[in-house]
Amino acid sequence: MNDTGEHNHLDQQDVGPTEAGLSRRDFLRTSGAAATVAALAEVPAALAEEAPAQSPAKAIGPEPVQLTLDVNGAAMTTYVEPRVTLLDALRNYLDVTGCKRVCDRGTCGACTVMVDGKPIYSCTLLALEAEGKKIKTAESLIDGGKLDAVPAAFVKHDAQQCGFCTPGFVVAMRAAFDQNPNATPAEIEEALSGNICRCGTYQQMRDAIVALCKNQPGLGTRKKEG
Amino acid sequence: MATSWPKKRRLIGAKVQRLDGPAKATGKAKYSYDINRKGMLHAVLLRCPYAHAKIKSLDTAAAEKMSGVKAIHPIKKVGEELFWAGEEILGLAADTEEHALDAVRAVKIEYEVLPHLVKEEDALKNDPQTVSPVGGKRNNVLAAKEAASQGFEKGMADAAVTVEGSYGVPTICHQCLESHGLVAEWNANGELTVWASTQAVTATAAILAGHFRIPANKVKCITHYMGGGFGSKFGPDIQGIVAAELARKANAPVKLMLDRASEITAGGCRPSAYGKVKIGATKDGKVTAYEVDCYGTPGVGLSDTVTFNALPYVYPFEHKRKHVRIRTNTQLQRAMRAPNHPQNCALTEFILDDLAAKLEMDPMQLRLKNLPQNDPNAMQNAPHSLPALRHTIYTREIEIAAALSKWKEKWHPPGKTPGIVKHGIGMALHTWTGQAVPQRNECTVIISADGSVTARTSSQDLGTGQRTVTALVTAEILGLEPEQITLQFGESPNGASSGSGGSTTVPSQAPATLRAATAARDDLFAKIAPKLSAKAEDLVIERGKVVDRASGKSWDWKKACAALGEEQAQATGFWTAAESNKPENKDVSSSGVGGVQIAEVLVDTETGVVRCTQIVAVQDCGMVVNRLTCESQVAGGVIMGLNYALFEERIMDRVTGRQVNPDMEFYKLGGIEDMPKILVYLHDMPERGVIGVGEPPVISTHAAIGNAIFNALGVRVPHTPFTPERVLAALAAKGGGQ
Repeated sequence: MNDTGEHNHLDQQDVGPTEAGLSRRDFLRTSGAAATVAALAEVPAALAEEAPAQSPAKAIGPEPVQLTLDVNGAAMTTYVEPRVTLLDALRNYLDVTGCKRVCDRGTCGACTVMVDGKPIYSCTLLALEAEGKKIKTAESLIDGGKLDAVPAAFVKHDAQQCGFCTPGFVVAMRAAFDQNPNATPAEIEEALSGNICRCGTYQQMRDAIVALCKNQPGLGTRKKEG
Repeated sequence: MATSWPKKRRLIGAKVQRLDGPAKATGKAKYSYDINRKGMLHAVLLRCPYAHAKIKSLDTAAAEKMSGVKAIHPIKKVGEELFWAGEEILGLAADTEEHALDAVRAVKIEYEVLPHLVKEEDALKNDPQTVSPVGGKRNNVLAAKEAASQGFEKGMADAAVTVEGSYGVPTICHQCLESHGLVAEWNANGELTVWASTQAVTATAAILAGHFRIPANKVKCITHYMGGGFGSKFGPDIQGIVAAELARKANAPVKLMLDRASEITAGGCRPSAYGKVKIGATKDGKVTAYEVDCYGTPGVGLSDTVTFNALPYVYPFEHKRKHVRIRTNTQLQRAMRAPNHPQNCALTEFILDDLAAKLEMDPMQLRLKNLPQNDPNAMQNAPHSLPALRHTIYTREIEIAAALSKWKEKWHPPGKTPGIVKHGIGMALHTWTGQAVPQRNECTVIISADGSVTARTSSQDLGTGQRTVTALVTAEILGLEPEQITLQFGESPNGASSGSGGSTTVPSQAPATLRAATAARDDLFAKIAPKLSAKAEDLVIERGKVVDRASGKSWDWKKACAALGEEQAQATGFWTAAESNKPENKDVSSSGVGGVQIAEVLVDTETGVVRCTQIVAVQDCGMVVNRLTCESQVAGGVIMGLNYALFEERIMDRVTGRQVNPDMEFYKLGGIEDMPKILVYLHDMPERGVIGVGEPPVISTHAAIGNAIFNALGVRVPHTPFTPERVLAALAAKGGGQ
């Protein structure tokens, strides 16, 4: 369905940093599923069976299909079943493991990646829906020895312990600053409200946020870590 | 030879950034979950959906024929009884995770469903008896443990004032973000390598070697990075053994990491504790007696859910105590960050504030009146031990916490602030041990002729910053910077070490590193002295150089090391509890800490919502090694304790016997916006040597918050988590909060 772009909800709604993913309502609205459900409730079953024939969507799967993703500027190709999420495609098929699988249902934010600049729970998106989009993971925030200002602040202020949630936080925070380089600490905290840390690194994260917000407007440029 | 810390310390006690920080923050660090081996299979477990059942039939024929299935490993057989929803039945490996999930659904299994009990209050009736037999008898309620001190009866009789209350904490889940599991791979020589998410690298390798009856040196466990354990990850567990079995059967690497629901329902939980408490005191607030009658569930297990011998907690009251273990059809409890101490803390600290209210006393003054005295024997024999110092430490910590929290200005009698949103402030105390373990812990330091230095240990870094501690101790002794030390961590062949539990890793590993670095330095001096025309005993380290005190000559580090020529300098240091106890090694590592926390809250009496606004945490941990990560540990403990106070609860469904919140939507953890301001004060006492700090800061936070809520409302909310529902119920029971 992604090759027509027709059902591609990422184009149709603004996924803000406060809701790093899709709401159920938006998903239903944009995917056409809501309309289908309504129709099935009203028409006799025999007629409803014909409904798929009217659908313009091309059937793919269940066998693996070719998938090419633009990950951190590199084209990566593999074969996945259409049911595979972007998270699982990245981790299990492309060995891009900075995005972590924790809740696997759009709650904890550990799998956050940027899709065309917007922070997305990669467990809530099918891999095929991400074709043609620019995917950025935490791994993109270090270039040789150059550490992006956001992960650099996490390191400096010790805003990580076990570190399993950290790439998700770092990507969500980077996206928030990209969206608004003049964001206040409160706005950044709001942008991180879809991420959960178990070790309890929020206090140090706040130190990092305050330091980054003070650095405005230089935040958008990458700083070299000593 | 006597061991001691350097008198002048450049790095120890300073703030040193964790060396693996950039790798973790940019997703480059490879956790066990991230290991992808060539040709690797994905495995899943079939789990029992019933809280109590017997397997009537089990047919894997259809599953075996499913696409991509490579191996099946049975765990339970037909006729076997299963005692909790989530118990493992079989493991299955397939070429993709999708195929593995499809195939496990194709396993045909019939159950005879048996009666279950999953709630303590139901199981307390011991009818029906739904758990495994012990000594041939099924019993949901185990015999009570009871004890009393000699002066209890007199103490209660002498009390001018008594207060009674019921308090409790529910079962909660470890909720490790990286789930339990491992990747297992056999080579052609019959050697097994596992990349395990574990707190115990060497034990995991040893247990697997034992299971497969192969020599210990044929199993290698690697844990470079670990995504949270909190006491729940001390071995391969059943899923690790099954992964290795499947890998052997399929002759391919296998990854088996628990999914989120399994992680929560089978990956560990802290047991509950509910108790009736009575306390008696003189009119001026001297406690004369304390009585507790409590119960909790270790799940299908048998262990206590409180630390029985430490009730009452911290305070040495005359006491009578009773504890009943109630077995339920729920997963086995596991150690969780300061096991059972939070339960003890709640069962002791809540009633102190209720007593203070009845006495119309400031609860801080009540605590100061009842602190344990310094033990005269300990003052003689072990002057830096907690028993010798406890009154001094707690008194000082309370003073510090009072000043930081502005207690005198902010405290008010309970429930006496006007308005709908009420302010409250409360406190609680805790203690922990945190000493070197009996088992040998080793560290090896190698200095090469090019000046490079490697520190090697099998010990693991759970995110506590152990890696950085090893580097900074090595760098301190060798006059280098921590980032100049190459670390080889978390691999079982790297020498002896123990599991990271009980806050024992720093007090076990840091002295081993100190000895290794010191001996490697001396080996270096012995080897290079002739070439430098110096005597080894005249050589000393200064920052970045080796100095000959006799001639005054100095060589920079690399140049001095170059004199090693074809050789290298190397030494292995070890540490144990026995080494720590030797008189000549006194004050290198020690045991026993105290901590004081003060919480402030705002409670909305119309909605029941509690907002914690500030927590002051004053913590002793002997000699601080890395101030940056030490502060992080304390703040992290406080945050976990805040989660206990406000959000966390395992909710079991009486009818289905299943957990209704095995997820992250309804098993709540706070986000950044839920966090109070946290003030951490490390009560540094370097003369005591190193003591672990990972666990103690988590213990008293929920009690401090509970007491702050009581201070706000004048009404006790008796059970954590302090949800709006519970706050409103407590207000309603006492006729409103206005």
